Amino acid sequence: MSSKTSALASFVESAPPGELTNVTSAIKTITGDNSLQSLAPAFQKYNEEQFTTVKLPGGSQSVIISSHNSLGDGRYYDVESQSSFAFDHSTQKASDVQSHVLESSQGDLVKSLLKSLSTHAQEHYPSSSLGVYPTFDDTSIAVVFVANKYSPNNFWNGRWRSQYIFAPSSGTLIGSIKVDVHYYEDGNVRLITSKPVSLSVSGGSAAEVTRQIAAAERMYQEELNRAFGSLSEGAFKGLRRQLPVTRQKIDWEKVGGYRLGQDIGGGRSR
Amino acid sequence: MASADPFDSALDLLRRLNPKDTAANVQRLCSLAPSLTEDLLESVDVPLTIKRDTKTGRDFLCCDYNRDGDSWRSPWSNEFFPAIDDGEGVVPSERVRKMEVKAGEAFDVYRELYFEGGISSVYFWDVDDGFAGCVLLKKSASPSSKSAASWDSIHVFEALDRARTARYKLTSTVILNLGTDAENLGNMDLSGNMVRQVEQDLPVENDGSHVTNIGKMVEDMEGKMRNLLQEVYFGKAKDVVGDLRSIASLSEAKRDKATHQEMINSMSRS
Repeated sequence: MSSKTSALASFVESAPPGELTNVTSAIKTITGDNSLQSLAPAFQKYNEEQFTTVKLPGGSQSVIISSHNSLGDGRYYDVESQSSFAFDHSTQKASDVQSHVLESSQGDLVKSLLKSLSTHAQEHYPSSSLGVYPTFDDTSIAVVFVANKYSPNNFWNGRWRSQYIFAPSSGTLIGSIKVDVHYYEDGNVRLITSKPVSLSVSGGSAAEVTRQIAAAERMYQEELNRAFGSLSEGAFKGLRRQLPVTRQKIDWEKVGGYRLGQDIGGGRSR
Repeated sequence: MASADPFDSALDLLRRLNPKDTAANVQRLCSLAPSLTEDLLESVDVPLTIKRDTKTGRDFLCCDYNRDGDSWRSPWSNEFFPAIDDGEGVVPSERVRKMEVKAGEAFDVYRELYFEGGISSVYFWDVDDGFAGCVLLKKSASPSSKSAASWDSIHVFEALDRARTARYKLTSTVILNLGTDAENLGNMDLSGNMVRQVEQDLPVENDGSHVTNIGKMVEDMEGKMRNLLQEVYFGKAKDVVGDLRSIASLSEAKRDKATHQEMINSMSRS
């Protein structure tokens, strides 16, 4: 990869939720290159890692793009609608829908997980998309989940992603939860979080897997809310006071007179 | 929607990409489009770097305004580090340097009172009809091995002399980076920058008035920005997470709302 391509790929990779189009059009203007052919792998990586959602032609539900439901050659499949489709990574559009029946020894568990997880999702996520797929070796099940909320008119966008691999034979459920929030009115502020999850599920029913995922995600959100509070009260306060200890603003006419205290108190850099 | 101007597009891109990578992204943009280099270095604020003034033994902050080639002027000794090979670098006129020294002392007191640590540097330079300058403040803290916090203030102003008054134009940027890592929370990074501008006409009796006026304006602005940062970092970002995922059950919330509405309706009927 040339250094130019890797620089542009890094821009694509760090595009905030819902702003890939803006990032792409800025890149086009800066480089004067309207095709951006060399960025095809970067767009694919972005879509698969960010769980980009797309509406199939004629369909109403959004389906997820991820490495777990990739069929290769730019095609992906959806369990619920029993279809496969071609996906254009640079325009994020789906086409050429074909029938695709899931052939897996985990088929029943996949379907019951889809059902119980989507009931849970509707209870806690105002807008989300879910995918459940057998892994390629058909020994485990991959769960991918994304909730987006875009409000570009108010200069913010957000994304919650979780993904898990459930191994029915051992009962292990391993995955991660990631949150990405961008706020850009009069500035550029970004929240990026990542939390590994490792659980063990007894029994291995879809209901139990869902219960464990729901508990882990709830606990994580509560933990994150506490972290906002402790960062505000701790690290933030420790950087700059709201007012000096005297609780008064500085008298700039007499600021020379403050020097005595300052000389005693130090303040010279080491 | 795409802006036709590459410089505007570069600024738009930097406003969207992860603010933690701004310095690296400016470098990438400069190598992609060398003609933008000067404008980007002048108008994009990145975290301040620290240099040692070996003559006075004090640290000072570096930005584009005290840079001459690969050397930076110290506000404490008025000398460049490393020394400039061929002759001398540009220094302010005698009158402006006098004000610079006075402001540098005053903001060192300000730094101690508000930041209780950190480094400050003030640079003034001559412009037609007056002078201009920047006030830089930086504080970093690592409350524990698993967390880091830093605050960089970059206040750039222009003071245009009028009869008995001066017109001040102030542009302030605060770069605030907070990161924390803990067992239950996982990794959380909350970083970014916010920018504000203000213009004011203030009375001027002598050169001392300028230091007083600039001091008041910067103190006022930084206080407002601290409140704004608190609101965006710990209020807005948390709210967006709450918009993505609701801790309370959405169907219960909906039912409660419907019950509430019913009560209101029955009361208004009676």
